[in-house]
Amino acid sequence: MQNASQRAAARTHSKGLADNFRKYWPYYVMAMPGVIYLIIFRFIPMLGSVIAFEDYQVYTGIFSSQWVGMKNFVNMFTYSDFSRILTNTLILGALRILFCFPVPVIMALMMNEIGAPRLKKTIQTAVYIPYFLSWIIVSELIFDLLGVSGLFNRARALFGLRPLLVMQQSKYFRTVYVFSTIWKEAGWGTVVYMAAIAGIDQSLYEAASIDGATRFQKMRFITFPMLLPTVITMLLLQIGSFMELGFEHVFSLLTPMTYSTGDIFDTYVYRVGILQAQYSITTAVGLFQSVIGLVMVVFFNQLSKKISDDGGLW
Amino acid sequence: MKKVLSVLFAILMLLSMVSVSSAEETVVDLSVWGTNNGFLPVEKGSPLYEKYLEITGVGVTQPYVEWNGGTTYNEQLNLKIAAGEMPDMFNPNGMETTLIKSGALLDLTPYLEKYAPNLYNLIGEEVWGSVRANDPTGEGKIWYIPSVIYGRNAPMIRKDWLDKLGLAMPKTQAELVDVLKAFYEKDPNGNGIADELPSGGRAEARWMGQFFAMFGVAMWEGYPQWDLYDGELTYSAVTQNMKDALQFIAQLYQDGLLDPETLLNNKSQWDGKINAGNVGIWEHIPQECYNYAEAIYESTGVQPDIAVLPVIDADGYEGKGFYTGRKLSGIEFVVAKTDDEKKIMAVMQLLNAYGDTSKWMDFYNGVEGMHSVTKDGVTSRLPDDKTTQQNLILTPYNTISTPEFQVELLTSQLGTDREWAISQAIRNVKELAQYTHLPAGDGIPNSIYGEYADIQNRTLYVEYATKIITGEYSIDKFDEFVDKWYANGGQAVTENARAWYAAKQ
Repeated sequence: MQNASQRAAARTHSKGLADNFRKYWPYYVMAMPGVIYLIIFRFIPMLGSVIAFEDYQVYTGIFSSQWVGMKNFVNMFTYSDFSRILTNTLILGALRILFCFPVPVIMALMMNEIGAPRLKKTIQTAVYIPYFLSWIIVSELIFDLLGVSGLFNRARALFGLRPLLVMQQSKYFRTVYVFSTIWKEAGWGTVVYMAAIAGIDQSLYEAASIDGATRFQKMRFITFPMLLPTVITMLLLQIGSFMELGFEHVFSLLTPMTYSTGDIFDTYVYRVGILQAQYSITTAVGLFQSVIGLVMVVFFNQLSKKISDDGGLW
Repeated sequence: MKKVLSVLFAILMLLSMVSVSSAEETVVDLSVWGTNNGFLPVEKGSPLYEKYLEITGVGVTQPYVEWNGGTTYNEQLNLKIAAGEMPDMFNPNGMETTLIKSGALLDLTPYLEKYAPNLYNLIGEEVWGSVRANDPTGEGKIWYIPSVIYGRNAPMIRKDWLDKLGLAMPKTQAELVDVLKAFYEKDPNGNGIADELPSGGRAEARWMGQFFAMFGVAMWEGYPQWDLYDGELTYSAVTQNMKDALQFIAQLYQDGLLDPETLLNNKSQWDGKINAGNVGIWEHIPQECYNYAEAIYESTGVQPDIAVLPVIDADGYEGKGFYTGRKLSGIEFVVAKTDDEKKIMAVMQLLNAYGDTSKWMDFYNGVEGMHSVTKDGVTSRLPDDKTTQQNLILTPYNTISTPEFQVELLTSQLGTDREWAISQAIRNVKELAQYTHLPAGDGIPNSIYGEYADIQNRTLYVEYATKIITGEYSIDKFDEFVDKWYANGGQAVTENARAWYAAKQ
């Protein structure tokens, strides 16, 4: 009797995947495009990273280019501006998490308190529209806005101040980066949080009302704590892409005058790799960048698991 | 009856197929990439395709790839090459050394003299000698078609502004500053608004030759050149001359005599300011000054007089200034490696037509009705219009040119209502020759830069130069730049350059 059931269990186990597929095939089909995308655009290109260890020449190809081992990495670390690029990348990444990440959370909490549904919808739409503009357009707007005849300098002129060309001074680059990130992306970020807020059990609020909680107390003790798991997940995802600052964003705002604060891995890779076809050294840089990203996301995932039981992405 | 008809149809169809396939056999299409500043692409069967087919017997197609100072072009070209879709013939724009070394290009040595004699003879043995000497494989092969030009770039000045303000053409540094001040303060465009920009340039301190030239800095479109300083071949960016030039430019910038947005301007923004009639002195190509003149006339109603600015005597540099010429440094085309004999022969046929001076007027005038118009038997070019004109990619009249041919070319355009503007260009071409100096490093190959990408693309120079100009760095920082430049590959590159020069002597 026991034997039979064991055998049955073994059979189901061996047939598990096939059965599972037969039973849930629509889900598999649904996941297919995403999986194929990952394989083609994320996993296969990873094999190309091997050129970081070669003296890669386009025409010779991956398989016959000369193997040079760690030479490209040695070159990278001895490159005089390596520390500058690394520092800039880390600083911009940190600023983004420090200043840009909390904004959508705060905005979602604020918008949630708007009573009139129409007004709420209008504001929501207005703040997330910039997300759909490309960085190229946004950066042109910024350059114009901050140009000699732009709004910013006209406003300065009203106060009798001389025009200030913000975009060509290295000390303002990071500020511009942070503000433009918030302007373009904060509205889109609120969508996720608004959805999470909408999912909160209304009976909690009713109970709180009966207990005489004020609006602010409801926000502080119900909305915010209920939102926290979502916030932490988003934060982890953000940290995972810590080193990915958005090439287009930084590149389109960068001028030679702001290299000292704005030149990051991505822009360096573009300048040397794409424009001058030195693919090997720039692949080495990209690989280094990815390793740091991986280390960070693993570290913070462990940390978040320590802090709360169901925290962490995996 | 039906049967007869169907047989007839079948025969007709067969015949038409035969004629189509025979036509396809004779025409080889080549994809050609080069400079395009915003004109329309050329597809198979389009008017310019047909025109080039008529002139050269070869089909030429061009996708739309914007030049954008060379960066967008390089990006697109590299992506195409990496994808294994190299154009058949293209301007390598600095990539040639890598491509030659990796065996991606066609060795032109066995073909040119025999199959493109027009071009071979026109360019001449002396130039081919330099091309062979520059072969990065050291085998003395011909890998590219050079551009052989004379001093083409120079600063221009609104002479009508000078006349209006009763000023003479400036000759010394002090006079130049006075003229710039007058342009700034005395409203030479007469619109009552202080919107004049006495001078300026473009991002990365490009196209500001007027100020580099007076200190004897060899500079081509914002790219420092190699020339003799203290008797040795030196990168002009790391010389005392450069330091003095930057100090002067920084002073002008601080005094508001340059466009405050100089270092943020892209081509269209800067051209827009010139064309709106707001700029007094700017550097570009005097032989094409009629484009500016006509645009200014159209936007302001004033016919400007655009003259070449004479080389200014900077304090302490009297007689040492010059406008940088270029004879051999440019590379016009390389050819992708192929085993297809037919394709190679088509390339040679195209190059042979390219070097045939009797066809240059046809290349220049392009498509009748699109690029040019014929009136009373005189064909002349229409003003540039990027919305209707296809990109003229074969421009031998500009790339293998002499001042004499330019004058001849421009003279053929007289007798139209563009005469007032074109005659200024003719005068300027003649005038410019006296100021042109060919730097000693003319023709130096990019291979001297090796793997020092940031030295080759002059990143360090641009960063320091622009920060000194805006005043973020004091001029004392220049010495730090020089040290850093030498320490980060400049030393090795300089040694390569001097070895090249010694071998050339």
